[in-house]
Amino acid sequence: MAATGEGGGKEEVKTNFVTREGTYRLMPLSEYSKPTRVPYNGQTNTPCKVTFVDLEDGSGNSDRICFNVGRELYFYVYKGVKKGTFPTCHDCNEMLISPDSVQLLVGFTAGQVQLIDPIKKELSKLFNEERLIDKTKVTCIKWIPGSPNHFLVSHASGQMYVYNEEMPCGPTPPHYQPFKQGDCFAVYTCKTRSTRNPMYRWVVGSGAINEFAFSPCAKYLAVVSQDGYLRVFSYDRMELISSMKSYFGGLLCVCWSPDSKFIVTGGEDDLVTVWSFHEKRVICRGQGHQSWVSCVAFDPYTTTIENVCDSTGEEEITSKSENKNGSSVYPNGIYPLTNATENHTKKQTPVSSANSSVITCYRFGSIGHDTHLCLWDLTDDIIKLPCGRVRGSVVSTSAAPAYSSNTIPRCSSANAKTNAVANDVSVMDGNAYAMTNSTMNPTTKFATLSLGDRRENSEKKEHKRNFSLAGRSSDKSQTLKANSIRPPDNALKLLGTPACPRLNEAPLLEPLVCKKISVDRLTSLVFKEECLVTACQEGVVYTWARPGAVENL
Amino acid sequence: MGNNPTQLEKEMGSVQLPANEHYFGLVNFGNTCYCNSVLQALYFCRPFREKVLQYKHQQKNQKKETLLMCLADLFYNIATQKKKVGTLAPKRFITRLRKECELFDNYMQQDAHEFLNYLLNRVAELLQAEKQGGKGKGGENNSQSKPEPTWVSSKDEDFLDLSVDVEQNTSITHCLRGFSCTETLCAEHKMRIKKLPQILALHLKRFKYTEQLKRFTKLSYRVVFPLELRLFNTSDDAYNPDRMYDLVAVVVHIGSSLNRGHYISIKIEASSMEDFFGLSSDIQKNSETGYILFYQSRE
Repeated sequence: MAATGEGGGKEEVKTNFVTREGTYRLMPLSEYSKPTRVPYNGQTNTPCKVTFVDLEDGSGNSDRICFNVGRELYFYVYKGVKKGTFPTCHDCNEMLISPDSVQLLVGFTAGQVQLIDPIKKELSKLFNEERLIDKTKVTCIKWIPGSPNHFLVSHASGQMYVYNEEMPCGPTPPHYQPFKQGDCFAVYTCKTRSTRNPMYRWVVGSGAINEFAFSPCAKYLAVVSQDGYLRVFSYDRMELISSMKSYFGGLLCVCWSPDSKFIVTGGEDDLVTVWSFHEKRVICRGQGHQSWVSCVAFDPYTTTIENVCDSTGEEEITSKSENKNGSSVYPNGIYPLTNATENHTKKQTPVSSANSSVITCYRFGSIGHDTHLCLWDLTDDIIKLPCGRVRGSVVSTSAAPAYSSNTIPRCSSANAKTNAVANDVSVMDGNAYAMTNSTMNPTTKFATLSLGDRRENSEKKEHKRNFSLAGRSSDKSQTLKANSIRPPDNALKLLGTPACPRLNEAPLLEPLVCKKISVDRLTSLVFKEECLVTACQEGVVYTWARPGAVENL
Repeated sequence: MGNNPTQLEKEMGSVQLPANEHYFGLVNFGNTCYCNSVLQALYFCRPFREKVLQYKHQQKNQKKETLLMCLADLFYNIATQKKKVGTLAPKRFITRLRKECELFDNYMQQDAHEFLNYLLNRVAELLQAEKQGGKGKGGENNSQSKPEPTWVSSKDEDFLDLSVDVEQNTSITHCLRGFSCTETLCAEHKMRIKKLPQILALHLKRFKYTEQLKRFTKLSYRVVFPLELRLFNTSDDAYNPDRMYDLVAVVVHIGSSLNRGHYISIKIEASSMEDFFGLSSDIQKNSETGYILFYQSRE
């Protein structure tokens, strides 16, 4: 069925779509789905999640795809640990990947965690097997970046646990003692943590934890919960840095930008929300989905960077090399970024580039219960909207000292980071206009602000009027934040603050594309260099070739 | 039910019940689940319940039996029970309802929304009549102190009932974008809410008349609804456009068509949401059968 582009019916399931860089096509014979012989049981409620792992075994095809659907987890066909419990999520240890071994963690609906090696097949360790630590569903599981044996597991109970893969779980329920506390979160240690799991217990917010994500720089942890909050912690210091509230409803998914500067969330308000880590405020919201947003992901390969003449030399940018496919596709000197073999994005350690450059347009995607895929461009002109700069400069000056206190000695780039924060503002101020001009043409065409003229004017007026007021109030909230973080039922008070602006106080983005691409709700989205991959609840995994990736189709 | 704890009580044993709250089942008098489920949901809409109980208090000496009086008596009966859980037979209310309205005067299955619609209209009429009659109400203060649940058409929008069209794989937020008002008063294409009500009842139009089949069919679309809600399509000059709503009750329709099936009512308790009634977010996600959603303003 040839999709007829924009004019196509709403109910039509698309097989291609067009963006400014070209046409994305659904690959034929690319369904890494569950074997059709296995009947699909519509009863299961666990989303199908997909990850990739590169074994680097030297062969031409070293990637392995891994996904869980219904009762099964496919890396190889895998049977669940116990009857009545299904895998919910999984994660491969990036530290310990070798051609003949992969450490794969699997979380289960009844709270258990299993460590397996799908290649060697001999390793199999169970954690929380007797469900003494937590009885609720595992909602997210991740190896702690840079650690060969520590991992973090979040549960529907609103708690997260740090495990050491080398330690047992113990035959009795663990005894905890308080370790660190802040408003809306607390960390406990296990009294016998030197000999048994869990090492730490985090209690976060007042609802189920839906997802968490470590920043690419590995220092920060973003947690989204059913109570509608995004909370960003300094992971090693166990300190809450800041938080954000959804417009309404739970937040379901979270993703960091490749340079750790922005966080995108999706949730039950049908919106995607972009939050600036440096400015600690909502930058914009995106409206395009017709139902809850189940997964968001940045596309590091379609992110636009520009060289800055008066370089600060401290900008934290992932190093990128030019696309082999040629930058001719991309007008105005904007070229896509590719993941060369020596690229470090995958290893999650951003490097300061010698050739100082600034990302001027971030691409991210979102999928939802509405079976739609949306792609978004977060452009420079939105990041640097005047209102943002007013508030931002205030926030960042007052926040700068907080940063240095938050930097972790262990982290090598800590100092650079602090500088980057301070420099950031000046870079923005110095180059904002020139850059806006250069990016205006390609960007405004696609990602438009849907604010009405009248409203935009009134907004500007308001912000001008509130110039000093806004500054003061955000100053105050900064100090408040430092002392004690608001309890969760302060959602009403948060409205109108940088943590939860009113609908007309933050720009409302429209998606670059918004297409129905499935008949079932979508649950997973992964961007790869030559394709993007989507998966739906039913367990069908689709590959979308990027423009130019497939020649004769 | 005797002294043995019911299954419900056993299940609720682990849940901390709020003090002064009563959970009473309503006995089914033969296909009256449409009525019971709505009454339960309304009971747990606190502002509505309080107004009704207030009315009961004001009308102590009134002899005349009206539907509103029966409702007030029933709510009063539930609220003053000694036990925290149990069952009640809303016999007087059902009898009165059947007497007043031909439509419900039988043992057939009924549409819960039609009943809600009727009940609210009837209550509004009664209050209007009383206001105009104006006899022995204790002066103006009283009648003003009870802004009653009324309809969209009235100025006082404490209770707003919206019927929304449903689409497959959408959220209630999306459905609300194209909502049409229950009373088709509005000539405009897109209606926007000017003043946000205290209670928002959202009726999902799951029953659609199909010409070919010459009958109503049920649209079992998957429509998700969050526990808290804000509205997007408020008018620009709305007085309180950011009002936050909490889901307090859901009338659920179980079954495949209008003529068959069963209604149940689920009361949402924020704290115990996850375990109670097995009403985890998973049910929410399987909310194919959510039929009327009761959202209450948080303030």
